[in-house]
Amino acid sequence: MVLARVEGLTYRHPEAERPALEDVSLELHPGELVCVLGPSGSGKSTLLRALAGLVPHFHGGSFVGRVELGGRDTRRARPSELAGMVASVFQDPEDQVVFTQVENEVEFGLENLGVPPTEIPRRAREALGAVGIGRLAMRRTPELSAGELQRVCLAAALALRPQLLLLDEPTSQLDPAAAAGLLELLAELDATVVVSEQRPARPLEHCDRVLFLEAGRLLLDAPRETALEWLAANRPAYLGRSRSDHREAPVTGDPILVMDEVAYSYAENRGVGPSSLELARGEVVALAGPNGSGKTTLAKLAAGLLEPQQGEIVRGGRPAYLSQDPGRYVVAERVDEEVALGVGGDHERARAALHTVGLTGYDDRHPRDLSSGERERVALASVLVTDPELLVLDEPTRGMDPERKNALAQLLRREAAKRATVVVTHDLRFAADVADRLVALGAHQEAVVAA
Amino acid sequence: MNPVPAAALLGGLAVAALLADRTASVAVIAAILLAFCFRAPRRRRWPYLVGTLASGLVLFLLSPLLGSYGGVVYWEGPSIPVLGRLDVTSNELEEALYQGLRLIAVGLAFAAYALLLDHDRLMQAGGWLRRSVLAIALATRLFPTLERDAAGYVEALRGRGVAVEGLRGRARLLSPLLAGSLERSLNLAESMEARGFGRPGRTRAPRAAWRPIDRVAVVAAALLVVGGVLWF
Repeated sequence: MVLARVEGLTYRHPEAERPALEDVSLELHPGELVCVLGPSGSGKSTLLRALAGLVPHFHGGSFVGRVELGGRDTRRARPSELAGMVASVFQDPEDQVVFTQVENEVEFGLENLGVPPTEIPRRAREALGAVGIGRLAMRRTPELSAGELQRVCLAAALALRPQLLLLDEPTSQLDPAAAAGLLELLAELDATVVVSEQRPARPLEHCDRVLFLEAGRLLLDAPRETALEWLAANRPAYLGRSRSDHREAPVTGDPILVMDEVAYSYAENRGVGPSSLELARGEVVALAGPNGSGKTTLAKLAAGLLEPQQGEIVRGGRPAYLSQDPGRYVVAERVDEEVALGVGGDHERARAALHTVGLTGYDDRHPRDLSSGERERVALASVLVTDPELLVLDEPTRGMDPERKNALAQLLRREAAKRATVVVTHDLRFAADVADRLVALGAHQEAVVAA
Repeated sequence: MNPVPAAALLGGLAVAALLADRTASVAVIAAILLAFCFRAPRRRRWPYLVGTLASGLVLFLLSPLLGSYGGVVYWEGPSIPVLGRLDVTSNELEEALYQGLRLIAVGLAFAAYALLLDHDRLMQAGGWLRRSVLAIALATRLFPTLERDAAGYVEALRGRGVAVEGLRGRARLLSPLLAGSLERSLNLAESMEARGFGRPGRTRAPRAAWRPIDRVAVVAAALLVVGGVLWF
């Protein structure tokens, strides 16, 4: 029995030069957990949207081939008609939330599907409980962290009890424990689940099948074991085989950052408790910890974007901070102008920075026309171009494929001697590749030097 | 409290403040509304309180200069074309206090509405007007979202050593803010369609039944309006 079938799908976005998907054919069977891998911009998100009927209905463009869901041709059924049979969670949770209260948000889809009113609250509560945020039911969505919001979106999708669940990087903002819990939950679902991931280690442990897309073409569609062999031979980075080797002792120089018992609290009781951290030139430190543990607050304090309410910070050099939202680096109309903002419009340096992050030739593109992974690299170039002595990167690998992560790790290691570097990350594999030390913030916001 | 009677109560207080003749009555209503507003978290309430109180203060300071109500003259200033002679009298001060407090009371009623009510439930109470009220609910979120986005852009620029200062510096953010809100609206529309919005046969989650306090609030709202007309 086939739940969904894609036949010879070639899709081109409006005004795009090349197709986002090219001659893609596949079948999805009930109960399968399918992992979709591939570089940034390879067509993973477009494939998920095609399976939900959003491509072409919502996005327009040229669509050749056929996609069937439960025997229905997606060109003839509107996405809203397919809702319920299929549910989607997109990459950016902030752009998906309709209501201001968590419970209402989860109930929204159930109401649209015409679920009997008496069932709606129970199903909403069950879904919230399943993703571990039952306690947030009455909270306001604008006050949630990105990781919490991502789980709200997952709950909203799970509440629909879909036959096909499409998840576009659902763990990108979750801490490792939450991500592991989510993947275990997905593996237990009766539904067919298609997960696009850039942290593939755990999905590869749980999935039944792997799809690998590159430049819109489906290079691999194979059961897990076969796929692991293929990945080992062709794309080892996806198996977490790092090419970075920095096991030698770090070359440390003058102190660049000394944080002594600093604390900062927001009005809604989030923030970071008294924490101390020291970094010398040449050191790369990874900051890890659960969602809401205060990593971003500590990073902003380190970079001087927040003033501590308690404690003292001494910096021995000029800081720069990379926000975890690459959507904040779209102020200018062209990529090179965006990157040059930090160096007074010096386009020469901007081009060099773009080359460093692998975006040579992107100078005249509009930042909003880029994929999420490419935007992340523009953001990185915008910060690296300033040549800071203290570099603070907040989730720099979000939306970045494993090969790019390796390249970033190598870049940070190569340039480590120039500065002190703080990397906030949920990606412990990346942390192991790039950092000399891991500082783990506990759930109660105390700083613990782990290794 | 259910948001519908709560909104009715706030509306009743605002209407009573507008209808009341006595300054003391308006002051009491404003004090009650201020007490409501203090139930909101400090970080969220201060822009509303500062904006409302500042507006009332400006009205109190300007209206004696512009109005002409007679009474004991406390201060006399220059004569200005069109406006005439500037002066401050006892009657003008009383009238300015009354008008300032009315403005503050209405502003505080709106602040309490914005800060304390569950807007989702209030909008959902619209029933058959659901599509329109959802559009209104999303539109009312535009400004807080733009405010948050602007803060994000400023922070990202500061993070790479670019200071955002003055009108010109902030004006640079207008274009990305507009483009960002358009992009966000498309993403939201896509998400809503993917969750079945617009499909026929929708249902509504059961709402909590009105408690006695909700009924009392509605009666109190009606009494406030009547009181505003007859007694205050």
